[in-house]
Amino acid sequence: MTISIWRYSHLALAVSSFVFILLASITGIILAFEPISDKLQPYQVADLNTLSLSETVSIFKDNYPEVIEIQIDANHFVFASVITEDGKSLNGYFNPKTAQFLANRKEPSKFFQWVTNFHRSLFLKGIGRFFVGLCSFILFLIAISGLILVIKRQGSLKKMFSKVINENFNQYWHVVLGRLSLIPIIIITITGVYLSFEKFNILPKATTSHIVNFDVISETPKLDLLQFPIFKNTKLSQVKSVEFPFSQDVEDYFILELKDREILVNQFTGTVLSEEKQPLVGFFSNLSLNLHTGKGSIIWSIILAIASINILFFIYSGFAMTLKRSKAKLKNKFKKDQAKYVILVGSENGSTLPFANVLYKQLLQAGEKVFISELNKYSSYKRAKQLIVLTATYGQGEAPTNANKFLKLVESTKQNKDLKFSVVGFGSLSYPDFCKFAFDINIKLNDYFKEGTAPFTIHDKSVEAFEQWTQVWSKSQGLQFKISEKELVIKPKLLKKLKVLEKTQVSKNPDQTFLITLKPKKSLRFKSGDLLAIYPNHDYRERLYSIGKINGNMQLSVKYLEGGLGSNYLNKLELQNKFKAKLVKNSSFYFPKQASRVILIANGTGIGPFLGMLHDNKKKIKTHLYLGLRTQASFDLYKQQLTNFISDKKLRKLELSLSQEANKTYVQDALFNDAKFIAAMLEKKGIIMICGSLVMQKGVLGVLEKICATYNNKPLVYYQNRQQLKMDCY
Amino acid sequence: MKVKQFLLIVIATLGLLSVTSFKETTKYKCMIQMTNYTGEAAYVVISLINPQGEYEKTLYVQGDDDEWYHDISDWWKFYGKKRGNLDAITGATIAGGARTISVIDIEDSKIDAGYSIRFETAVEDQEYYTKDVQFPLTSENVKSKQDGTGFIRYIRMMPN
Repeated sequence: MTISIWRYSHLALAVSSFVFILLASITGIILAFEPISDKLQPYQVADLNTLSLSETVSIFKDNYPEVIEIQIDANHFVFASVITEDGKSLNGYFNPKTAQFLANRKEPSKFFQWVTNFHRSLFLKGIGRFFVGLCSFILFLIAISGLILVIKRQGSLKKMFSKVINENFNQYWHVVLGRLSLIPIIIITITGVYLSFEKFNILPKATTSHIVNFDVISETPKLDLLQFPIFKNTKLSQVKSVEFPFSQDVEDYFILELKDREILVNQFTGTVLSEEKQPLVGFFSNLSLNLHTGKGSIIWSIILAIASINILFFIYSGFAMTLKRSKAKLKNKFKKDQAKYVILVGSENGSTLPFANVLYKQLLQAGEKVFISELNKYSSYKRAKQLIVLTATYGQGEAPTNANKFLKLVESTKQNKDLKFSVVGFGSLSYPDFCKFAFDINIKLNDYFKEGTAPFTIHDKSVEAFEQWTQVWSKSQGLQFKISEKELVIKPKLLKKLKVLEKTQVSKNPDQTFLITLKPKKSLRFKSGDLLAIYPNHDYRERLYSIGKINGNMQLSVKYLEGGLGSNYLNKLELQNKFKAKLVKNSSFYFPKQASRVILIANGTGIGPFLGMLHDNKKKIKTHLYLGLRTQASFDLYKQQLTNFISDKKLRKLELSLSQEANKTYVQDALFNDAKFIAAMLEKKGIIMICGSLVMQKGVLGVLEKICATYNNKPLVYYQNRQQLKMDCY
Repeated sequence: MKVKQFLLIVIATLGLLSVTSFKETTKYKCMIQMTNYTGEAAYVVISLINPQGEYEKTLYVQGDDDEWYHDISDWWKFYGKKRGNLDAITGATIAGGARTISVIDIEDSKIDAGYSIRFETAVEDQEYYTKDVQFPLTSENVKSKQDGTGFIRYIRMMPN
């Protein structure tokens, strides 16, 4: 499949350099701890911002007959080299206030030295340095191409930091962590490249050249060291080093190196002999070194370590995604003009391809002539009778990269007029523009050809939905085949163990509804409203149930159906039985943490999650429940729990509508009766939650729409956009 | 006879002791100013050379990464065999154009006794100068300025 130039570069660069990057990141993580361990040494004894240089210089002069040099490092440790009264030389850390010797300079750790050496040259000296520098640059390019991919994916630069939809682990975290560590990685790579340039003398040399006029140099007027204005006015925090005059000759002077300047000072009069600004190159070298190594800052060192760990993850997840993609490639047995069936695929990351391939194989097995290709490679198909388009939608309802020219190609390509087409859209309902591109294609093709089967959408790569479509479609073709699910099945992962605690009996309920309580491991975090996916046959077929959390356990409200896969499975479980299921987070259907008022609307088993929410309504947010059931007897199952909630004030009002009793009422009717109240609570930012059947949802939304229009003069969408409406219907 | 032998031994040991304990040393400040060459910072080794022209003692090493010591090949032939402890007399390498002041210890008995001091320099991927600076240790020379022939522009020495 064609992939965009950016994705291709992103991958190609990564492939070409990942070994070096891997080594550099691992050693980088280790090295991040060096500045941390240095900084933790106890030699920062005074505040260098309040101490002037003259104080330090004179206290050293008073204490030691000979002072060679004083240096201040990135950790604000003061290092000096002096000779004591008894003729011993002392090199080490000193207290800048008292000139008291603190400790010998720490020998650079052999281990860190060894790792540093490996990090910058892989023990290959010059050649190694070159490669490491080059890979640093490549990593920079990878980061930039990654940035562009994220921007494209999110739709625009503005939305760069908006929510990423979690479709699969590697992809999701690759994007999320990529965004977060982008800036540190760019800094690491640029400084890394800069440091390499420096090693290879590509940058101009940062030397300061002083010119001292020795003809006019004078020993008078003599000034006390403490009175040197330049020393008095310089805080120790600005100083990098002071080199003391070599001898008593007036030609020997103090060399004072500040953060941005180098100054020569007459040792007798204190006058400034020469002052040179540090060249920009030197400034950048210093900055690069500190930013690249984290010297002097624990927080930055930690950020660098985390960024390096992320790089390792990117290498892993990037390759995992690539492998997955390459599994799905298109191969053909027949030429395009021989085929009766033409399958065209639009996919951004290849996840639609397995579906297309399965269909292709089935048609081949059925003895048909099939041709499979990408949407962008659309051309004339002389003998084609049926065109099948399987496509994903990318970003905000846009075409995937290998399909972005298709709509234009349809216009410009000559094709049989009697061609029939069928479109299948793949997508996720969590995107606002669900399968939009598929619909766009359908509209476009309608202008030219005849529709075979109606456009069909598939949520979350559902194998079942695809199976449904193939049945409809193959029937329309007079073909008989079943797709082999095995090739499409992704084994459910992250299964959690659950134990059956309680179960009510189906036979005792007039609607064959039962409650089942499951005990998860204590560590499992979930909320009422989350979904539990169970796998009755331990294969691809999953069934979702809304969870009500009660006393830390999961309570599901299940309607038993004759031959129903999930309900049969759950009903057959005995107390204390254990089984595995997957927890699916559903944060858009959580009970609000704060709200003026909440209205819960449910019918049938839709009450399941609400039971848990009410149970945990410890803040006693004013909550009303509109519940639709069939008969009075249906209510028995929930009666006890709901009465308790009312007496605890967790539930303020229960409005029960029974559809199979004498006066036949539905929740819609009950809502309509309370229209004024509902309109008012919506205005006061109250929240409405709906759970139950799609039929009920449709009815309820109709009523709410009417209420809003009549009393509030606003469409329901107004409140929906303000997140005042939460729904989970099936 | 026995007494005579005993006396001899006593005298000999005393003599030896006096020689070893009579190691009066003086500290010298020594400034190394490098030329403006480009490339890696230089390793500089300061050694005491005996009247026969052989290494006698390592006085100072500018450069603390001992992985590179073998590149300073002449000195390495002397030092590499025993590998004494250099911790107290090592400093950082010196970059082109930079200068460094270090303090070295020289026994007074070596002054005006035919001994010399040698500064040898080596830079990664560049030349190696065995005798960048070398001059006899005379009481005159130890407070002088001497020009270098390689990476060193000049050195200055001064007794402390």
